[in-house]
Parts: sequence; C-alpha cells; structure tokens
Amino acid sequence: MATVVGGGNGNQRGRTAEVARPAVAVPRPVSGPELATPPLVVRRREEEETVVTFPALVWKEFLAGLLMFVFLMVVSIQVNAPLLQRANTAITPNPAKAPWYFVGLQELLERFPPVMAGVAFPTFVIVFMILTPYIDRNPSRRPQDRKVAILLFTTYLCLAVAFIVIGVFFRSLAFNWDWGLLLGHPGLKSNV
Amino acid sequence: MSATPSEVNPVRAFVAQVWGSIFRHGLPTTDKVAARTALTNFFLHIHPVRVKKSAIRVSYTLCLGGLSFFLFIILTITGLFLMFYYIPSVDQAYQNIKDLQFVATFGLVIRNMHRWAAHGMVITVWLHMARVFYQGAYKPPREFNWAIGTLLLLTTLLLSFSGYLLPWDQLAVWAITVGTNMAKYAPIAGPYTRYLLIGGRNVAQGALLRFYVLHVIALPLIGFLLMVVHFWRVRKDGFTGGL
Repeated sequence: MATVVGGGNGNQRGRTAEVARPAVAVPRPVSGPELATPPLVVRRREEEETVVTFPALVWKEFLAGLLMFVFLMVVSIQVNAPLLQRANTAITPNPAKAPWYFVGLQELLERFPPVMAGVAFPTFVIVFMILTPYIDRNPSRRPQDRKVAILLFTTYLCLAVAFIVIGVFFRSLAFNWDWGLLLGHPGLKSNV
Repeated sequence: MSATPSEVNPVRAFVAQVWGSIFRHGLPTTDKVAARTALTNFFLHIHPVRVKKSAIRVSYTLCLGGLSFFLFIILTITGLFLMFYYIPSVDQAYQNIKDLQFVATFGLVIRNMHRWAAHGMVITVWLHMARVFYQGAYKPPREFNWAIGTLLLLTTLLLSFSGYLLPWDQLAVWAITVGTNMAKYAPIAGPYTRYLLIGGRNVAQGALLRFYVLHVIALPLIGFLLMVVHFWRVRKDGFTGGL
C-alpha cells in the first residue's frame, strides 16, 4: 500500500519527523495514472513504521561491531604492522612519503606551487565542505534532483582517491613517476 | 519476583533487590518494556526510544557511523594497553615497540590491531561522509551536524597522523618530516606553525613528546567531545530515513 508523504520538501519533512504521524493530516490521493501531478515522494507504508531501538537497533550495532572485531582480529593475527629500522636522521629513505591519507597532498605538491598545494587547496576543501549544507540550497534529497551536487562530489572523491593511488603506487625514487611498482622493472633483478 | 509472604527467601529477596537496583526492567519482551529500558538505561540513552524502521535499515546506513565509533573504542582500549609499554623518548620508544612485538604477551596482536583499526577508522569515517552526502542527509536541519562531522574527519586524520610518529622508526620519522613540511608553505605563519607543532626545527625529541601528548590526550578528548555533540544532534535533529 502506498501513501504520499509531503511535497518533496525535505526541509519540512526533516523537521516534523519526530512527530511521526505521517498519514494524519495528509489527504490521501489515489496513486496511479489519474493523479494530476505525480507525487514527489512515494513511500511504502511499512517504511513509516517505527521500531523500538532497543533491541532492534542495538542488535544490529552489536552484530556489526562483532563482525568488525572478528575481521580486525583475523587481519591483526595475519598481517604485522610495519616497523622499519630505528629512526636515523642521517639517512633519508628514498622516496620519503607521507602517510597514505596525506600522500594525495604530497602528490599535489608535485604538481602545484607549495602555497597552492600545501595551504590553499586543503583550506579551501575544508571550508567548502563545512559550508556545503549552506551552499546547497536544493531541498530535495532524491538523487535525480541532485545531479550537479552528486557530480561535483563524485569528482572530488575520484580526484582524492586518484591522487592517493598515484602517490602510493606510481611514485618511487625522489617521488618521480614510476610504473615499476605496478609493472615491475624489466632488466632489474630486485625492485630498487 | 513475587512470592507469597510465607515463602520469602531472604537471600533471593536480597539478590532480587540488588538486581532490580541495577536493571530497572526485565528482558525487552514487549515494546513497552523495551521502551522503558531504553529510557532508563544510561548506555542505551544514546539512542532515541523509537526510530523509523527505514532510518536504521542496514542497506541505508551501511553501519558506517557506528563502525567508526566502534573502531574508536577499540583504538582507545588497545591504545591504553600500548601506553603501559611505551615511553615517548627517542632513546627508548623504538625498543619499546620491539619489546611489544617480541616480549610482551599479546603485544604484537594488540599493536597490529591498533594500527589496522586506525587505518580502518580513516576509511570508515570517509565512507560515512560519502554516504551522508549521497543521501543528502546533511540538508536542513542537519547543516551544523555535517560541520561537526567534517571536524571529526579532520580529528581522525590528525589522530592517525600523530600516532604515525610514535614507533620512532624510519617510516615514522620521515613520514612526519614530509607531512609537517607541508605546514611550512603557509605564508608567514607556516614556519612558526611547523616549529610549534614539532617543537624544534627537526623531527626530534620535542616532536615525539608533542605528538605523544596530542595523540593520547588532546586529540582523543577533542574527538570524544565532538562525537558526543555529533550523536546528541543526530538524535535532536531527527533521522532522515530511507529515500
């Protein structure tokens, strides 16, 4: 059974969600082709149902936590955390890389002036991310209404992941581009 | 626990009293009891009593926020264990890690867990952010909680970064050297920021102690505080539910 909820106004719906009496005041139009305008949000009735968080949600959290714990345990038993030689400020490893989540920034440093890559870009990304909900005035939460937002965010995610992958796998001596870590070095016995 | 006066067993009555003083309600056999339990239990109080079924669907939340918090708890517990064996001194830190790996009982597994959970938390927090974005869950009235989430992502990165230095091996020192060199490029404040962060011009004892204090006290406290506000607002701003 389908009920029409709201007018696609995400704002309104968000604020009244706690009241949780969706079908009281809303006149129930007949769903189907005879509707003058198609409803913006059609929901199945059971989706408006509420459940008691204890135990319904607590149970899910417990299971998710348990699975994660088992997974972590297996990984920790099988794979050892890296530990190289004792730190020696006289010997610089080549290449010297930042931790993987900052290697994208290091990659940017290779391509842009330091003030841009090291300061301007990260600051811009952080500020822009915090301001996102205030900039994006589109009230709809449906993917088909948010093509631009989704496209922009996906581009950002892809760029971030690409820079990290490049930094980790395609940069070797002196942080120069190198296919060798992926394809191997023909002619060399061990990878340098 | 109702017994007729004639057969009251003082031991059982005492046990019942103690039990009842801790757990106000029995097993959640009915919704009513479950709701009252959730209301009166401190740890369950983190959740609202009732929630839309669609808001807690696993296919909707992917459990990412919860898993991030769970990894934070694991990191706190394993981190406490590691602290018993670790001295933030350039002369001893590396040997402490070696001892953890080869001498301390379960030290190796605990250190591995701490390391992999840290990487895992960076990933789950990232994915949680992506999930919230794609579902438009940051939209009003949740704008501010998204901002707090952004700060939590930054805190997670800084926590992981500050922990990276502590083993005091070649990987640690040079990764932090590269990472903190980025701070140098900020106009005017850059070099001072780096000096403040690593307590000197090179990554040395000053940096190790600062990163240790940041890693075990300052950043976890900041993260915890932000998490408390984040969870509180998740409840107060209401749940989005399925699309």
